[in-house]
This record gives sequence, structure tokens and C-alpha cells, in this order.
Amino acid sequence: MIAELAALTVGFVVSLLTMPLVMKFMKMMGMVGIDVHKKDRPSIPEMGGVAVLVGLTASVLLVMFLMPEKVRLLMSFLSSALIAGIVGAVDDLRPLNARIKPLLTVFSGIPILLLGTYNPRGPIFPIIGQTRLTIVYPLIILIAMAVTSNAVNMMDPFNGTMSGTCTVITIVMILSSLILGREDGLLLSMCILGPLVVLYLFNRYPAKVFSGDVGSLSIGAALGAIAILSRLEAVAVVAFAPQIMNAFYGLSTIGRLYERREVSRPTVILEDGRLMASSDPHAPITLARVILARGPLHEREAAQIFIILSIISGILAIFTAYLIRVTT
Amino acid sequence: MIRRILDFTIVLLFVWVCMIIGLWLINEVIVPLKISGINNHFVEATLKVAVSAGLVLFWLWLWREIVKVMFWHTLKSREKEMKSPKKENDEA
Repeated sequence: MIAELAALTVGFVVSLLTMPLVMKFMKMMGMVGIDVHKKDRPSIPEMGGVAVLVGLTASVLLVMFLMPEKVRLLMSFLSSALIAGIVGAVDDLRPLNARIKPLLTVFSGIPILLLGTYNPRGPIFPIIGQTRLTIVYPLIILIAMAVTSNAVNMMDPFNGTMSGTCTVITIVMILSSLILGREDGLLLSMCILGPLVVLYLFNRYPAKVFSGDVGSLSIGAALGAIAILSRLEAVAVVAFAPQIMNAFYGLSTIGRLYERREVSRPTVILEDGRLMASSDPHAPITLARVILARGPLHEREAAQIFIILSIISGILAIFTAYLIRVTT
Repeated sequence: MIRRILDFTIVLLFVWVCMIIGLWLINEVIVPLKISGINNHFVEATLKVAVSAGLVLFWLWLWREIVKVMFWHTLKSREKEMKSPKKENDEA
């Protein structure tokens, strides 16, 4: 438990110290984004996810030092997050094609396959138990890493939604690891929890920093890697339900992979600053649009609903972990 | 706010229950199924995987349709609500 607590502390402190420096640097370099959901449209520093990656790297390196027997596991975890982070950084600096980006995130699953740190027999489901998907599982891993990283990337419509919902998912992973006795899941989740909390503190409404794709893709890949490396795939599918919903609705309404800048905005801003669902039939049906269909809301309230939904799916995910324990 | 959360909670619960029932169906019905006339184990296993995959696709389709119907229904009733007081004023 000492290594887990040390990872949490180091990840949190390093990210906390790095974030203001990253913000200052991004502002200096002109790497700012417009907060489109505010009436005064303020310029916010981008790529705050760099501080998350620095914090994550520090905590993983510390655990490698404390637990040398876990080096392979930690290497595959960190490499997955870093590869997705590099793809995100490239996209932040020079926007990638909507089809190329998901394809590149597939590579974040390669370290897990090369280092052989996954369960070769396949995922474990409640009721069914251990599956035997020896041949197709490596392919599923590559697809799953692309799905988690891109689903998290698409779930960033309001201040604090991506960082808040991912913090909830990480806590769910920790609790599920405790229920199922998955020590690796606990260790890896503690490594990412500290940097995620820091990102949430800076990214929550009103945002002081945007995570950028460097943050969202790497966080998504890290969570996907935790699910695979700790055999918590079924738990993760349920915990990721809001992200899956959001990505799936968007993709199914547009009918192809898309970038936010390519399609009509799913939400519109009213004169009083509240957000409303767009009635444009060509706009994607995203989770934000569905939430706002009942009437306009302030950004802070809409972001709160996202986090509450994540907590509800988290409770179902914990129940899924319990089902795995009693039925398999 | 509570109504919006409730809408999604119902969808999430429905989708989760469907997932559990689907897993039970795969485990209890599809996997033990003996298909008469097929002696090749590989072909039989492939058919079972195809049926299971079809079940997953049906689950996703159902999930999408529920939310699609919910979204357009809510949006239209909201638009009606917003238009109706204006109409009354015009008539007055």
C-alpha cells in the first residue's frame, strides 16, 4: 500500500507544480483556445495534458524504483499513455485527419502486446467468467485502446467534463480492484489519479486550462490500459457508458468519423449565457445535446450532469465487479 | 436537472440489465447449443460467435434507438412548449 500512496502523492504534487508552468509556456507560445461556451469568449491555455503526462511519468518511475518486479507492467502502461499523448500533441499542434487520428491511437496498444502484459486467454465477464479468445484478443486490445482514447477525447464539451468523468472512472477502477483483489489495477489507477485530480482542479468551470488532445487521448489510453492490464474489461465497459454513449450517438448520426470543427455545433449559446440544444438535423446527437434537449442550462450545471451520470454508471460498474466476484 | 438525470439513469439501467441478460443468454443458450447437421467444431464455434456478435449489435442498435427517440421527442415537446405561449399572445 506504501507504493500506491507514494504514487498518488508524487503524481499529484508533480502535476500540481508542473501545471502553472505549462499554462505559462502555452500562453507565451500562443497555444490558446477560445472557450466558446462563455459570452466573453476568453482565451484559455491549451495542452494542459502535458502536466498530466509529466505527473504520470513521475509516479510510474517512482513505483518502478519501489517495485522492480512490476517494471514490465509499468513500462507497458506508461508507454501506452505516452504514445497516445504524442498522437494528441501532434494533433494539437497540427490538426490530424478525422480518420488518421483514431488509426494512430491503435499504436498505443502495441506496448501491451510486445511486453506480453495482458491476460492471453481474454477478458473476464460476469456470469460467463474467463473467456477463451486467445487468437482475437490481441486485435481486441488494439481496437479497445483506440476506442477508449477517442471516446474520452470526444467527451470534452464543457469545462471539467473530461477530467471530472475520468477521475470518477479511475476511482471506480480503484474500488473494483479492491473488490476483485486486482493489485495491479489498484497500483496503476493510483498512478493516474493524482494527475487527473490536478487537471480537474484547473479544468473545472470556469476553466483555467484546456487539456488538449495530448491530455484526453493519453488519459483515455491510460484508462484503457488499466482495464486490460488488470483484467477489468467488463467493469470498464460499464464505467465508460457515458463516453460510449456520447461517441456512439455522434458517430451514428453523422455516419462516419468526424472532427468537431467539420460538423454543425450540437449546442448553441443564448444571450443570457445559457446553453441550448441545437435543432439542426445535421448536428451530431451528442450527450451534451441530449442533456440540453429538456431546456437551456448554464455550462456549470451541464458539466455537473455529466459527472453525476458518470457516478451512476460507476455505481453500476462497481456492481458489475461484485457480480464478477460472485458469479465466476 | 433531476428529470434529465433520471432520463439517463433509466437508459443506463436498461442498457446494463440488457447486457447482463445478453451475457446470460450467451452462457446458457448460445454456448451449449448443439447445431444438428454440423460436425465441424470450427464452423460450429464460428456460428456461435456470429450469433453472439449479432446479439451485441442488436444491443447497441436498441441503445441508439432509445436515445434517438428520447432526444427528438424531448426536443419537439420543448419547442412546442416554447411556441404555445407566443401563439396564445398572438391570438389575444
